[in-house]
Amino acid sequence: MIVSHNELTAVVNKAFLGMRRTCGEADIIANMVAGLQMVGLNGIGHFNNAAQFLTAEKDCPVDIFMTNEGGLVVDLHGCSLACHLPVVIDYAIEKMVGKKHLTIELKNCHNRWLAYNELVKLAAKGLACKAQWNNGSSPQNTLYILNQGCVSPELFLSDHLDLTGRTLHDMTIQLSVKNFDIAGYSAGYERHINSSALNSAQRDTWYDGILVDDAEWEKLKKTATALLVENSEASVKGAGELV
Amino acid sequence: MDARPSTCGGTYMRDPITVMAPERLGAMHQNRISFVRTLIRKMAQQKWQVTKHDWQLSPQGFGHVIYKLTTLNHVYHLVIFCDEIADEDRNDRVIAEKWDVTFALVYGDVDVELLGRLRANVPLQEAGRNPNKVLVLARANKSVRVFEHLVSHLAKGQQPNAKELAEVGYILRTTAVYGNGKFGIADFNWLETTEDFNQSFSAQMCAVYILREFSLDWVHYIANQQGGDKAVSLDIDLQRYLGIGNATGLGMAPYLINHPCVVDKWLSSRESALTAVLNTAVTINKLEPLQHLLQKGLCHLDQIITINAHQDGLNTTAIGELHDLLGKLESLLLQSTTWHELVDYSGQYSLETQEILLSCLMEIYPELVDSYETKMNCDENLNLPSGKRIEDLIAVLENRYRWAIDTDFKQPENNYWFWYRSQDKEEPRLGVRGEEPGEDRELPLDIGRQAYRLYHALLICKPNMQLAEFLVLHPQYRAISRRVWTLGNKEMGEIQMNVLHKTALPMHLLRCKLAVFGATKFDPRSERWVRVTFFQGAPLLNEIHDGEWLFPLLPSHSLNQAIAEGEAS
Repeated sequence: MIVSHNELTAVVNKAFLGMRRTCGEADIIANMVAGLQMVGLNGIGHFNNAAQFLTAEKDCPVDIFMTNEGGLVVDLHGCSLACHLPVVIDYAIEKMVGKKHLTIELKNCHNRWLAYNELVKLAAKGLACKAQWNNGSSPQNTLYILNQGCVSPELFLSDHLDLTGRTLHDMTIQLSVKNFDIAGYSAGYERHINSSALNSAQRDTWYDGILVDDAEWEKLKKTATALLVENSEASVKGAGELV
Repeated sequence: MDARPSTCGGTYMRDPITVMAPERLGAMHQNRISFVRTLIRKMAQQKWQVTKHDWQLSPQGFGHVIYKLTTLNHVYHLVIFCDEIADEDRNDRVIAEKWDVTFALVYGDVDVELLGRLRANVPLQEAGRNPNKVLVLARANKSVRVFEHLVSHLAKGQQPNAKELAEVGYILRTTAVYGNGKFGIADFNWLETTEDFNQSFSAQMCAVYILREFSLDWVHYIANQQGGDKAVSLDIDLQRYLGIGNATGLGMAPYLINHPCVVDKWLSSRESALTAVLNTAVTINKLEPLQHLLQKGLCHLDQIITINAHQDGLNTTAIGELHDLLGKLESLLLQSTTWHELVDYSGQYSLETQEILLSCLMEIYPELVDSYETKMNCDENLNLPSGKRIEDLIAVLENRYRWAIDTDFKQPENNYWFWYRSQDKEEPRLGVRGEEPGEDRELPLDIGRQAYRLYHALLICKPNMQLAEFLVLHPQYRAISRRVWTLGNKEMGEIQMNVLHKTALPMHLLRCKLAVFGATKFDPRSERWVRVTFFQGAPLLNEIHDGEWLFPLLPSHSLNQAIAEGEAS
């Protein structure tokens, strides 16, 4: 079915608010989901997947350590990246001052596809970004490169799992004031989703609406009902109409 | 009047503490850049054409009607379904499931297939699913009293009793007008890129304006069906006097809290327009038009019939004050250099009177005001720039959020209410904290309390600590920090209201938004529920013009009739 952007963000917003989390911002998470869904990358599915575990996850700040090389290692304690990435990126940008390059190693995190939209925002700040992560299911290796001034990233996918120095729940983000060599880094990846396809998918959805999977949409809407309060005699009066 | 230096041409603009006070927002009136006024000007200037495209009603007035709207750029259709409903189903609340009239404004043509789809879905409103070529989805109920009175009189060849019309002011009353992607219809982000409805809420206003024409056509059609040759048309002045009613409840209030950049933009643009007027030299040739408008405002208030004793009292006070002001107006103008001084003088009057004066002043300077009509849209993102420290955010809070940080949220009266959404169509509601269920699912509309908590959390940190570092340790404050920084650096910023306070009146929020839309005849039905009219006094479609139509009044001949009937009774 087709849904609107406003409709999608409103439902995700409600769904997240209904989880009563301390960490995470409902409006930002809603835009993470919508941004991914608009380019056809299953934002709702990723959020629904996250929603299964979110209420049981720890709800505490991340721990950030500085490496000897000046990079950041961030322990998310097994939490969804959606709830913490904006804080981590803010912090990383502060630490970028006077540097040309910064590596952020995110440890023990989930739902890494939901980083898509937040990383897109970095281009507007004049930074290039490269993100890479491994996954237990296909595609097992994902590379995201967004060079300066770009609207959408180049995505490379492969089923070749390379766990050298990484686990299935990590993600590496590199920020740089120089553009990344797309051809060099993407060698060996089997699939490429190019930025122009992502751009046109996004542009078209503003006009045509956003295509969603019916079952995923229903699941999302069901999650959003957790915020609703049962009717009572008092609540009916609380609506404000003259009774 | 409070004033502070502003960026508005090196002149003085009113302080946000003054402008964004809830009581003042709750006294606002329509002005030249209210959305209904902007729409009518655009329709007149660009010569938009509206025609009756399809009229498929039974003799009883049930079926469907399509109006075609042709602009310079596109074609649209307003598709209206009229259904027979039982009196007990006629409910203004969002929880209603049946309505006399449901309608949709559609981009482009409506073929048989689309009409079938609309027929199956538009009458269901929230429960239906419409294609995204639908720009507006809405519904309305009859004022049964006015409807039946009009039909019965016109069918017999008689004009209606003006008093009956004056008490209500409309034939149809909308109970929800959805746009911007609600229930799958077109997003405003797309509309904003088009020529015709690129101003926020303009598509909704246009749908309601055409509905007003339909309400008159509908009554005439049924009167003709009943009266045949005997039937007459409604007096043209009375046609003009009838608008579209609107019943608005608590549901509108969260919009203003959840869209703070929009509210800032509306009030900042209005304030910029007003500032341009207030810094203009007073000229005596403006005396007559100003007197005329103030007199209209006075008569308008005098003709409002409201069951709300508080609003009635405010109107009565304002009537007396407007008499007083009119009596002194000429000498006040002679003593004033700029309009600022007249507005300073009006500070002794009630807010209702002050706001009427402001609307009148904006009205007499179209050349200074109208350009702001295209400055009502905004970027809604709440951003936190890099490089900021704790002390920077504290400074914003101390400068712009005094209304929040000076409130003692440890006191129960400052936390009295909580906001929540009910299972009934997700209707927003207010509950008493500690007494009613739902507190565990409270909506985060408590901006004042969040700002207060942020402030106290910041105070215990080192002032030169990086904000980004603070937010790593306290991520729960990132959302409110973004909001405080963004709004604290805007011209007008937040509505300065603790919506949790025991005496907080959501009505102020409703009135503010409705006035920006261009509503008139504010008739509160409770502290959280108000009836208003739109397009009352507006030109009819066949006489559309870009001139003034502030403060609707009963036509003078009808007024005389009403007075005579009042005296006789």
